[in-house]
Amino acid sequence: MFDISPTEWTAILLSLRVAVIATLVATPLGIALAWLLARRDFRGKPLVDALVHLPLVLPPVVTGYLLLLTFGRRGAVGGWLADHLGIVFAFRWTGAALACGIMSFPLLVRPIRLSIEAVDRRLEQAAATLGAPPWRVFATVTLPLALPGVLAGMVLGFAKAIGEFGATITFVSNIPGETQTISSAIYSLIQTPDGDPAAARLVVVSIVIAMGALIASEWFARRATQRLHGN
Amino acid sequence: MYRVAGVISALVILLGATCSPAVAQDKTITVFAAASMKNALDDIDAAYTAKTGVRIVTSYAASPALAKQIEQGAPADVFVSADTDWMDYAVGKKTIDEPTRVNLLGNSLVLIAPKDSTIDHVNIGPGFDLAKLAADGKIVTADVKSVPVGKYAMASLQKLGSWQAAEPKFAMTENVRAALALVARGEAAFGIVYSTDAKVEPGVKIVGTFPADSHPAIIYPVAATTTAKPETSNYLAFLRSTAAKIILEKYGFKFLVSPTT
Amino acid sequence: MLRVDIVKQLGEFSLEASFESQGRVTGLFGASGAGKTSLINLIAGLLKPDRGIIALDGETLDDTAAGVHVPPHRRRIGYVFQDARLFPHLDIRQNLDYGRRMNRLADDPAQRTRVTELLDIGNLLDRRPGKLSGGERQRVALGRALLSKPKLLLLDEPLGSLDEGRKEEILPYLMRLRDEANVPMVYVSHDAAEMRQLATQIVMLQRGRVTAFGGAKVLIGSPSPA
Repeated sequence: MFDISPTEWTAILLSLRVAVIATLVATPLGIALAWLLARRDFRGKPLVDALVHLPLVLPPVVTGYLLLLTFGRRGAVGGWLADHLGIVFAFRWTGAALACGIMSFPLLVRPIRLSIEAVDRRLEQAAATLGAPPWRVFATVTLPLALPGVLAGMVLGFAKAIGEFGATITFVSNIPGETQTISSAIYSLIQTPDGDPAAARLVVVSIVIAMGALIASEWFARRATQRLHGN
Repeated sequence: MYRVAGVISALVILLGATCSPAVAQDKTITVFAAASMKNALDDIDAAYTAKTGVRIVTSYAASPALAKQIEQGAPADVFVSADTDWMDYAVGKKTIDEPTRVNLLGNSLVLIAPKDSTIDHVNIGPGFDLAKLAADGKIVTADVKSVPVGKYAMASLQKLGSWQAAEPKFAMTENVRAALALVARGEAAFGIVYSTDAKVEPGVKIVGTFPADSHPAIIYPVAATTTAKPETSNYLAFLRSTAAKIILEKYGFKFLVSPTT
Repeated sequence: MLRVDIVKQLGEFSLEASFESQGRVTGLFGASGAGKTSLINLIAGLLKPDRGIIALDGETLDDTAAGVHVPPHRRRIGYVFQDARLFPHLDIRQNLDYGRRMNRLADDPAQRTRVTELLDIGNLLDRRPGKLSGGERQRVALGRALLSKPKLLLLDEPLGSLDEGRKEEILPYLMRLRDEANVPMVYVSHDAAEMRQLATQIVMLQRGRVTAFGGAKVLIGSPSPA
């Protein structure tokens, strides 16, 4: 029952790679946007907020299709990237990472934004009076205090990225070893005669990863409170 | 806490960085094949890899999905379609290396039911009343508007005069294997798939065969794409070999060309 | 020398203050809501005036006519807040060192020793702010502001959140600060008794207006809060 075939291993390792890259690349952008939404008021703010949350409410296939139109080999941005920088997203694991990163972005930003909002602005003021320019206030006061929220967001985003299906399969299809993630592998396996045991194994792996991520996320969030009380 | 997070991050990054994609770009051929090819082509690919050491990565999906992916720039070397329409489509989009195109295989269309269905045998001919047969149950096949097996099914039922009454009872899936799986799980009363699909699924039984003259000839063309790697010609030659013919006929496909070697 | 000449709309009333102060300790005295905290926030650069000029030792910090506003982190003005505002994720030693690092000042162990002895916080260095008493936090806040080597020190009712016992405890430190630390201070309070003990010049503020400016005698007739 627990013999994991090469196909399954490939899917698991690919999923991990895609989700790790997606999370690492999305996090700096997520922190920046979270800070912007938490600390600044500007004209287009409701629009930016909506755009950040869009992948959460759009049908995943729609997101995948939009990605195909934009970043596909014949897409506006994708074509340029491929021709000038040799960067290809369509039907590559990089495209899977892009799709997963976008789909998990709202889940990444939310906890970060909440934890930045929870940082006492009066502490930031104090830091300024002690000579810290705004970026150093962010680096030495805001970010360390918001860090548990950042970690919670990253873990949540990672869990979403590793489970992503609709946008991924629409944008980069289902190529074993390149874009076949755990979800697409399960999808293929349940259509394969006697693919059920393999599918079941991958389902277990998925659940374990997702549960692990949720528990870790909770743990980080709890440490946040402890830390702010100076433990 | 930061130490723990740091260690976990380092491990995860290491994992992500060290697992290179399973596809090594050089000694690999990417095949996009119609879903009904799955079991037979897996065996053929294994035989080819054993013989030459070249890895075959195959993506199975409905022929229209594959044709459009290739059009969008998917890195396929070979396209195996379940009907000539979708190969023609790909040719029209200039993604196919036409001289390599071969009408390789034939198949037949069957009506299947779950293994424990009370129906065992049905005569399918003019006046065949599929709607009455299905009663309250559903009939599944792949999308009749685009996927080859669905198109053959609709054409056949139209010719036999059954389509109009039966249409409301149809549930369409994305590809033929999804339909096969639904019947195997007992979710549908009947399904229309290829005889080669029914052969590999122990959970279903064939209760009738659609007359060959009730639908366009089922032909599976194979061709290399315009972006195919040089090794592809070897693979295509292998598909036409006696070794491949034996495997394909074992699964129930008709071999339409004379085998080489 | 601190020069303030500003107007700022604050909700229901406007703050208009104009004075020049030379003293060691300039007291800002007035009832709650008179605009004292807003005034020192303006001096610190945390608020911008609507109109006017703020200058310290001849250097312009705010000049609305010329479009000048020096941000807080460049003013070299230390600020001791009423609620201490120590950084909870740093220990006391790191809190104290924060201003030096941010201002990129050279390490000055002698000064650090002087300040920790002055404020009697040497035994607290390895602790976290969360584990300190109110009085201890306030003393650390004083030390932190001092160690950033400011040209001016602002104190916003530093004894305000403490009980009588704590106040008795800290007041001597403030007097030592005034006498030994060599930094001019602006001290905000609504307590006349404190003012009398600490301030050399007093600015009386009532509903946003400076109603008196001078030595301790301006406090005559002002009640101490119960």
